[in-house]
This record gives sequence, C-alpha cells and structure tokens, in this order.
Amino acid sequence: MEIIKAISIGALFGIGLYQLLRRNVIRSAIGLSIISNAINLYLLSVGAYDGVVEAYAKAVGQRSDALPQALILTAIVISLGGFAFVLALLYVIAARYRTGDSDEVKGLSH
Amino acid sequence: MLALPIIACLIGASAGAAFTFIPRVRSIPSHALGWLLAVAPASAFTAIVLHVPQITAGDALTWRIPWLPALGVEFAFYLDGLSALFGLIITGIGALVLIYAGYYFAPKHADKRATGGSHAAALHGKPSLHTTAHQTNAHFFLYVLLFMTSMLGLVLAGDVITLFLFWEGTSITSFLLIAYKTKDEEARSGAFKALFVTGGGGIALLAGLLFAAAISGSTDLMTILSNGDALRSSPWYPVMLGLIAFGAFTKSAQAPFHFWLPKAMAAPTPASAYLHSATMVKAGVYLLARLHPTLGNTPLWFWLLIVTGGTTMLLGAIIGLRQSDLKGMLAYSTVSQLGALTMLIGEEAPTAFKALAIGILAHALYKGALFMVAGIVDHETGTRDLRRLGNLWRVMPWTFLICGIAALSMAGLPPLFGFLAKETLLAAELEEVLPRLTRIVLPAVTVLTGALMLAQAASLALDTFVTRPGVGWPAARHDSEDGRAHYALHAHEPPAGMLLGPAALAALSLIITAFRPEIVVGLLASAATAAYGAPVKVALDLFHGINLPLILSSTAIALGIVLFTLRSPIRSIPNARALNMNLIYDGVLRVLDRAADIATRTQAGRIRIYLAVILTAFFALVIAFGGLWRVFDGAALANLSRRLFDEPFSTQTALRAFGLILAVAASFVSVIIRRDLLAIIALGSSGLAIAVVIALEPSPDVALVQAVVDTLTLVVLVLALSRLPHAQRRRAEELNDSGIQKWNALLAVAGGALVTALCLYAFGSRPRTSLVTPYYEQNAKPLTGAADIVGAIVVDFRGFDTMIEITVFSVAGIGVFSLLRYAMKKRETAGLPAEGEIESNLAASSQRPLPPTISGIDGGRTSPFIRALGYVALLLAFILAVVQMVYGHDQPGDGFTAGVTLSLGIGFWYVVFGYDEAKQRLRFLRPGLLIGAGILTVMAGSTAPTFLGGGFFSPFDFGAALGLPLPEGFYISTSFLFELAICLAVLGAATLIIDTLGHPERDLE
Repeated sequence: MEIIKAISIGALFGIGLYQLLRRNVIRSAIGLSIISNAINLYLLSVGAYDGVVEAYAKAVGQRSDALPQALILTAIVISLGGFAFVLALLYVIAARYRTGDSDEVKGLSH
Repeated sequence: MLALPIIACLIGASAGAAFTFIPRVRSIPSHALGWLLAVAPASAFTAIVLHVPQITAGDALTWRIPWLPALGVEFAFYLDGLSALFGLIITGIGALVLIYAGYYFAPKHADKRATGGSHAAALHGKPSLHTTAHQTNAHFFLYVLLFMTSMLGLVLAGDVITLFLFWEGTSITSFLLIAYKTKDEEARSGAFKALFVTGGGGIALLAGLLFAAAISGSTDLMTILSNGDALRSSPWYPVMLGLIAFGAFTKSAQAPFHFWLPKAMAAPTPASAYLHSATMVKAGVYLLARLHPTLGNTPLWFWLLIVTGGTTMLLGAIIGLRQSDLKGMLAYSTVSQLGALTMLIGEEAPTAFKALAIGILAHALYKGALFMVAGIVDHETGTRDLRRLGNLWRVMPWTFLICGIAALSMAGLPPLFGFLAKETLLAAELEEVLPRLTRIVLPAVTVLTGALMLAQAASLALDTFVTRPGVGWPAARHDSEDGRAHYALHAHEPPAGMLLGPAALAALSLIITAFRPEIVVGLLASAATAAYGAPVKVALDLFHGINLPLILSSTAIALGIVLFTLRSPIRSIPNARALNMNLIYDGVLRVLDRAADIATRTQAGRIRIYLAVILTAFFALVIAFGGLWRVFDGAALANLSRRLFDEPFSTQTALRAFGLILAVAASFVSVIIRRDLLAIIALGSSGLAIAVVIALEPSPDVALVQAVVDTLTLVVLVLALSRLPHAQRRRAEELNDSGIQKWNALLAVAGGALVTALCLYAFGSRPRTSLVTPYYEQNAKPLTGAADIVGAIVVDFRGFDTMIEITVFSVAGIGVFSLLRYAMKKRETAGLPAEGEIESNLAASSQRPLPPTISGIDGGRTSPFIRALGYVALLLAFILAVVQMVYGHDQPGDGFTAGVTLSLGIGFWYVVFGYDEAKQRLRFLRPGLLIGAGILTVMAGSTAPTFLGGGFFSPFDFGAALGLPLPEGFYISTSFLFELAICLAVLGAATLIIDTLGHPERDLE
C-alpha cells in the first residue's frame, strides 16, 4: 500500500509540475492545485499511526493519527485562499496584458 | 548630544520637503525660504561650536546606538578635531549657501530689468535657471539639506558602516543636484558621470572598509584606528589600501578620475559652490586623513598619495588656465587644490598635517566665495564665459571687491589665508624626512602650480571685472560694441543678501590671518593632530623671516605674473587629446552597454522558462546534496518490502488503491484533454478521489473539508476561466513548441521520481509512535468536551492557529476583491460601478437594473426547474451548515465546512440566476460585514473565558453556565462560538471571492 501511495504522490506531483510549466495560465493554476493535493496526501501519510477507526474519543481500536489531520485541515484552507488569490492575479494579468498566455506577459504594462 | 547637528539638518530637510509639497507654503518667496531654512545648519553650526573648547582640550566625543547588534554594527558618531573642522565648514558654508541660493533662485529682481536679463540669456544661448524654475526650486533646498545631512553624517561617523551609508548619501544627493536642471542634456549626463565614478568608488570603498573591519575585528572606527599595526602588517594591506584609496580618489576627483568634476558644474551654482568645492569633494581627503594614523606611514601609502596628489595638482592647474568658463576654471583649480591636499596626507611630517588643516579651511573659504561670485556674475549678465565678460567693476564694485579678496587668497598672496596655505605647503615639502627626490620634485611642481593658480586667480578677477571683453583670449569672438554696452547697462549689484555669503567667506580669509588667527588655531591644531596621529602645533604667523619657502613662494608669484601676461599665447596651444579621460569614460560606458546587451539576451523573458530553470537547478541540488542514497538504505528498504508483502489484503486497502489510481488518472486526463473546462472538471474529479482516499484513511473531517474545498476550487476556476481570454489560451496551447515541452516532461518525470523516492524514504523511516497525539486523544473529551479529536485540536488545542488561519483566509478574500477591483478600475468604463468600500460597491452593483438578456453563467436563460433547484440547494446548504456547526463537536464537520457549504449554495445561485439577479436576490449578503463579524466573534469568544476564570482560548461552556435548556449534544461553548465565527468569516471571504471572480467583465474579449 505504501509503495502505491508513494508512486501516486510522485505521479500527482509530476503531473502538477508539468501543468505548472505550460503556457496556458489556467493549466498552470490546475497544476498548482494538483501539487497542493499531492503534498496534503503526503503529509497525511506520514502520521505515526495507521488507523483502522476514526479519531474519535468513543471509537474502539487503533485510531488514525489526529495531529497530521488537524494540520492538513489548516493547509487545505490556506491553499484554497492562496489559490483564489492566484486566480485573481491571473485575471489581473488577463486584464492588463489581454492574454492568457504566460509567454505574452513581458515587461511592465499599465 | 552628538547627533544634534545631523538632526538639525534633517529637520531642515523635512521642512524643505514640506515646502515642496504643501501648495500654500510653496508661494513663500524664494529668498525668505533661504533665510528660513538656513536656521537648520546655523543651529548645527552652533552645536558644534559649543563642543569646540572640549575638543581643543583633547577630548573626543562619541555617541552610539546599536543598529545591527548581531553583526556588531552600530550607528555611531564621533567628534574630534578633524570631524569638527569639517563639520563647521559644512554647516557654516551650508547656511551661507542656503541664503545665497534663496536669492539665486528668486525671479529677476525687477520687471524692468527682466527684459535685459532674458535678452542677455537669449543672446548667449544659455538658459538661466531663475527664469523658469521658480515653482520647483524648493526641491533644491531639500536636496541641499539632505546632502548636508549626509555630509555631516560622513564626517561625524564613528563606525565604518555608518560612514559608508552617509558616503553614498552624498553621492546620491550630488547626483540629484547636478541633474537639477533636468531638461538640460548636459546636466543629466554630467550627473550620471559623477554618480558612475563616485558610486563605483563607493563600492570599492565599502569593500576596503570591510577588509579593515575584518582585520581589526570591529566596524567601530575607534577600534580600526587603534589597530594600525595589525592592519599595516596584514597581507591584505595593499588590497585594502587600494580599494579605500580608489574610493577616496574618485570622490575627491584625483587624476585620473578627475574628469567628472568639471562636468558636475552643470549643477546650479550654489550647489557647485557648496558640494563641488567646499565639502563633498573633500570627503575623500577627509577619509584619507581620518585613516592616516592607522593605514599611513608605509612606503605604499607615501608613493600612492604623493604621486596621485602631485599629478592631480599640476594637471588641474594646467588645464584650469585654459578654461574659458568661469565655473570650469574654478572646477579645475579645485581639482588642483584637492591634489595638493592628498599629497600632503602622504607626507609623514607634522608640518604636512598643519598644511593640510590650513589648506582645507583656506580653500573652502576662498573657493566658496569665488563660486558664489561666479554665480552672481552669471545671474546678472547671463553668461559665465570669460571671453565675453569684462569691465564689470564699474557696475558691480562690491562684487568686484569680494572677488578680488578671494582671488588674492587663491593666488596665495599675503596677508590672506591662501598665502599661509601655500607657505606651509612648501614648508612641508622641504621636510627632512622626505626622500631626496621628492624634496626637489615636489617644491618644483608646487611652485609651478602656484604660478598657474596665480595666473588663474588674476584671470578670474581681472578678465571678469577689469579688462575689456575678449582680451587674453586667442581669436576670441569679440562682442560687438552693443554687447559690451549691454552689460554696462543691464548688469548691476545683486541684492545685499546674495552678497552676504561670498562677502563673509572672503572676509574670513582676510580676518583670520591678518587680525584674529587665535579663533581657529586651536581647532586647526586638533584637526591636524587627529589626522597625523600625534600632536601637531599650528601657528598662523604670516612672516617667519626670509626662508626657503618664502623665496619659493616669491618665485611662484613672479612666475605667475609672467604666466598671466602670457595667458593669451598659452591658451592658443592646442589641447592634448591624450589627457582626455572623458574618452576613456565613454569607452567604458560603451563596453558596459554591450555587456548589458549580452546579459539581456540570456533572459528569455518567459515566466515558465524561468520557473523551469529554477526547478532544474533545485532538482540538481537535491540530487547532488539531498542524500538520496538513503532511500536505498537496506533497513528502510527491507522494512518497506516486508510491509508490502506482509500487508493483509482488505477491501479497504483495495479501495484506497483504487482511489489513488483514480486521482492520478484524473489528473493525467487534465493534462491531455484539450478543452480547459473539461480539464478543470478532471481536476475536480481528482480532488474528489483524493477525498475518498482521505476518508478511507480513515479521517472523515479532512475528507469532508477536502470535498467541499475541491468543489469550491472547481467553482472559482470555472469563474476565472470565463474571464480569461479564450483565443489566446487556445493559441498558447497550439504554439507550445515541442522542444520545451519535452524538457518540461523530463522535468516533471524527474520531479515525480524525486518525490516518490522521498515518500518511500519517509514512509519507511517515519516514527511509529507520536509524543503528541496520545495526549490529544486522552484529553480531548475531558478537557474540551469534544468527541471529535481532530475538531478539538483545530478549535481548542490549536485554536490560536485556527484563528490566524481564518484571518489569512479572509485576507485572501479581501485581496482578491481589491486586486480585481483595482484591475477593473484600470479599465473602468462609464457603466461599471466605481471602486471603493466593499459595502458601497456591492450595494451599488446590486442597484443596477437587470440587463434583459443576461441570465445564467453563459447568458442563456435557465429553466424553471433548475431555478427551483437553486432555492432548494441553498436551503439544504443552510440546514447542513447549521447541523455541522452545532454537532461538529462530536461528529465530522466543522465551521469551515459549514461556511464553504453555504458559499457553494450561493455560488450555485450565481450560476443559475446569473450575476445580476443573484446579486439582487442576495442584497442582504454583506461579505465585509460577515468577515468582520466572524473575526470579532472569535476574538470575543476566546477572550471571554479570561474574565470567567479561564485563560485565553480556554474551553468554557456558556450554555451550561447560564443554565440554558439546550438539546442534548449541543453546547454553547467557546468551541461552538469558534465554529460559528469560522463559518461567518469563511462565508464572507468565499462569497467575496465568488462575487468578484464571477463579476461579468463583458468588454474583456
């Protein structure tokens, strides 16, 4: 399982990178989102306990590690905020340079 | 308080700035402004004067505040005789220059003469400043005062970093002052030249000072000064000295870097008088004198300074005599004088430092006066060309008198200060300690220089005021009788205030030596002592009996008179091209331009290529130094493989694997699919698949958040998609050149492989027990009353984190809003609402009439069925949100999920009803208010327990405390308030994002 997970995270990261490096800015944004998913998955998987039951006080058995979960919760929220901001920047670029092509974004335009 | 003079000047500068910017104050007449601002340097002058008795008694004052304590750098000031001498020159002449400048920039004093003045200006093709720049000249005062602050800081600095800071300050303010007449091409190129040379020297100086600081172990000037032996014996000594000397030579216009100074004469004359003769150009001299006790007294020091200084002295004097511009001649004679001062610092004899102190003061006095006179002449006649000037003494007798006194001092004639300067200079060169060769060469050079200076001084005074125009110039373009009569008619004495500066300086040149030498003797002696490093006696007696210096001096005078009478033939000798450093400077600039051109070509200017380069470098670094071999470490690998094969097969495992494969596959689809909208949907599926994997972890809270966030991401992406120009995106896809794409693919594969390796290593070696988690598991229920451990961590144990998190999220929402409103403002069309407050904006846009055709996200009218679904969806979202908030404590779900769920319901309305209608229906929705309410609630909720016996963010059940009858499982506790606050803030921020990104920008494509 861990090997599949490792390969999947690597694959998600690689795909995200490829998307990030594309000319079309929307694809770059998609790439960013995929990369943040991959990283969240990674963080979740390095928890100390491989849980069988949810991290609830009443649950019986090996609970999943609550700490990385709580941290990822924060990470997901922050990356959503950051992502929205990136989209706003893309819009500003589109409005100023009249393009959605990152290669066309050159020099300072007003 | 040692910083007082600097503070006084800074206050003056701020006042100057205020005068520049406040329109009403701008109407203060220029000359009144000059008097007013002169108060600043005058008070600084007084502050230093009050310290003089202490200093002459042998004390040095220090004042320091820590600046970069970790590096041992302090903002330190140090006042001894040398600093005080310079400080007095800077503030004293500064005050006079400000007063003078006030009149210089004043409009021509009377209208009836304005015709004459402008006629003269037009006649000679020299635009004079005062006719045009009346409105803006407060800038000049600002720059001068800023310069004054920098210069004072430079000479008072007690730390080499402080010194460097102010050193650069003088270069920059000098640039601003030279380029003051911004429309004048010559002024701009002169300013750039000065900055290029002195700025380059500044960088070398910094390096040299850092060497000195490193060797002596401190940036403190005192430590450096007391570590002379260590510095001199260091193997780095030649490098250090070379760098520092380079800085000093460029600043003080020593050959071969002297060429910037004459070009700097494009500055307004008050600036030239102040910066480029009296103060700034002496900064290099100051630095060398300051460092002499610690770096000096070596053969290298001696020869470097003697040769450079001597050459500069002679060169400046020779070129100076050939100048036809008043200021040009003064500039070259300044170069010559600076050479003499540099040469003196090289000589290891008390007399030399006595001569240095006298020379600094004497030169500042007479040259300042002469520059101001040149400014007056320019101001009155509209020209500074010696070939056109002449015969002015009848109309400007007072100016002539002042000029005469100053010129006599420059010529080195008794009983003026300049005579003393030359006498001691000659005496210093005849010192026994000097090598025999220099004892012959230097006096000879000095006598020649002295003669040339006398000829120039005579030319300055006589060719301007006495002889007829054109006399003394080969093939001069003689002005017509009209032209000559013209000056006689229109030139006249300047206002008394304008004469004050030069008169005071010229008078001092006379008074000090002839009548009251005791007022400066003590100061000069302590300055010379500080520079020499051992006590130096200074006496200002004019007559020492018939001795060798006097004989040499008389020779120089006689030779000078001969040179003056022969000036016309001398001037007709053609220029020696080889001496023209400007050609070399131009060549250097061309080479630099070419280099910049080549460097620019390596810049692709494409963002993704920069990114690819950065990533390549990063991966290369990770591969080289990241310790990747550890992945193949036996133990970790064995561990992994054992678990791989030992792991029992279960449905859960299979489902997880399926979810992961689904996520990767969906992401891959987002790469290969052509339409952007479909790629976004693929991204959404990938995110949902990951939510499934997380749910199987099992961690339902995170899965829930992942699911709603993924959906919201999808929504904002689709909204953004509709606003990015479609055609270019398509073209961008088609133009993608395959070479770069292949490289990107390679990078992606490498990155993926690296991350896989990292994951394998991390999974194989992660700790199997946690120190923190068990604590949370045991204490979640008893301490916070929450069964949901993750929820308890988020809102209780790490509540402060979460508070900041929602603040960041809110700020992101507001950021999106302001960015887009800003972009919109840029392209504002009449129909769009004005920018401004969140509330007013939203209110404004909601009042707009509905456009008849627009409805739904792509303009088509949506079916009633879907519209009904919209109402239901929002209602359901609301119920869901409330449930999640109320029971999130024990069940999956929290305030964040609730907020996002609600926003999704609202986002659905935007899609179904279209922007305008949704806006109108949701008029009550105020995102700004929601964000504010949310953040205030969390603050109030977390602070309240401190008044109720708990701590900040400690759990508290308000419901139970008040005895409210609440249903089972529902508590009005701090964590519930927190959830509510998160929900409100997230709802506000998310709707703000949806609203701004969803704003229809109809004219974009």
